[in-house]
Amino acid sequence: MTDTTGIETEEPGTAVAVADDDATGALVPADAAVEVHTDHSNHPSPRQYVLIAIVLVVLTAIEIAISYIDTEHTNLIIIALFAMGAAKFFLVAGWYMHMRLDQPFFRRIFVIGMIGAGIVYGIVILMFSSTVLKA
Amino acid sequence: MTQAVATRDADAVVPSAPHAHDTNTGVSNNKLAIWMFIASESLFFGAFIATFFLYRGRDALYLKGPTPDELLNIPFTSVTSFVLLMSSLTMVLALAAIQRADHRRFRLWVLATAFFGLTFISAQVYEFTEFYREGLHLSTNLFGTTSYVLTGLHGAHVTVGIVWLLSLFGRSLQGRLGPEHSEAVEIGGLYWHFVDVVWIFIFTAVYLIPQH
Repeated sequence: MTDTTGIETEEPGTAVAVADDDATGALVPADAAVEVHTDHSNHPSPRQYVLIAIVLVVLTAIEIAISYIDTEHTNLIIIALFAMGAAKFFLVAGWYMHMRLDQPFFRRIFVIGMIGAGIVYGIVILMFSSTVLKA
Repeated sequence: MTQAVATRDADAVVPSAPHAHDTNTGVSNNKLAIWMFIASESLFFGAFIATFFLYRGRDALYLKGPTPDELLNIPFTSVTSFVLLMSSLTMVLALAAIQRADHRRFRLWVLATAFFGLTFISAQVYEFTEFYREGLHLSTNLFGTTSYVLTGLHGAHVTVGIVWLLSLFGRSLQGRLGPEHSEAVEIGGLYWHFVDVVWIFIFTAVYLIPQH
C-alpha cells in the first residue's frame, strides 16, 4: 500500500520508506523518518485553499455581527468571539501553515509555545486583575 | 535504490527516509528555526495581549482623552482585517505555484500578498493619524498606551513581512528561486501566516470585545 507521501505502508503502525541512492544514510528518529514528506502532493489544492478563505471570511463576518449585539451578557459575547477566533486560528495554522500535514516535530514546538503562553499569561491575568482592579 | 524499513516506534532509530534532512533531528534546520521563532513570538505577543486585557476598562476611574467607543471604527478595521485574511490566501497560492515551478503565478501571488500587506499598513497609519487628531496619544490614557503598542508592534511585524515578500519576489525575478528553493518561500509564508493569526486575536481583543 502506498500513501500520498510515497511511503509504503504494510499495516497500521508500520511503514516502509524507500530511500534514494544519494541518501546520506544518517540515523534519525523513526517517527521523524517515517513522516518526512518527499513532495507536496499531500498539500491542499488551490481550490481547497479558496474554500478555507471563504470559511474564514464567513467566520469574520459572524464575529463582527456578534460584536454589534447589544446585550447584558457580555461574557457570552466574549466567549463566542474567542471561540470563533480559535476556529480561525486552527484553520490558518492547520491548512495554510500546513501544520496538519507537516512533521509532528514542528507541531509540538508550536503547541508547546502556545500552551506556555496560555498558562503564563493566564496566571498573570488572574494574579494581577484583582490588584489592578482595585487601583 | 536503497530500501529502508521504518517503524512508528518513537525510540527506534532507522536509516533516514528519502529526502530526510541530514540533521540531528531529521528535519530542516531552517524550518525548525522559524517554528521556534514563531513559538517565541507567541509568548511575545501573548505578553502584550495579556497586558491589554489587564488594563482594559481601568481608565473608567480617571479617564482622560477620548474613549475607545468614540474612536474605534469597526467597519473600517473589519475591511482591513479582511484584506489581511486574503493576503494569507494569496501567500499560500504563491507557495503552491513555486512548488509547481509556475514562476509567473508565484510572482503574481507574492506581489498580491505584499500589496495586501501594504494596504493593511496604510490603513493602520491612517487609523493612528485619526486617533492622534482625536486626542489619543501614547500617554493620554491606558487604552492609548496598550492599543498603540500592541497594534503598532503587529504593524512592525507586517512591515518586516512585506520586505521579506518583496525580497522573495526579487530573487524570483533574478532566477534565483526555483522549485528546489520552495522551502525559502514556505518559511516566509509561515511568518506571514503567523502575523495573520496574531491579528485574528488582536482584532477580537481591541476592536470586537465590548469596552464596557
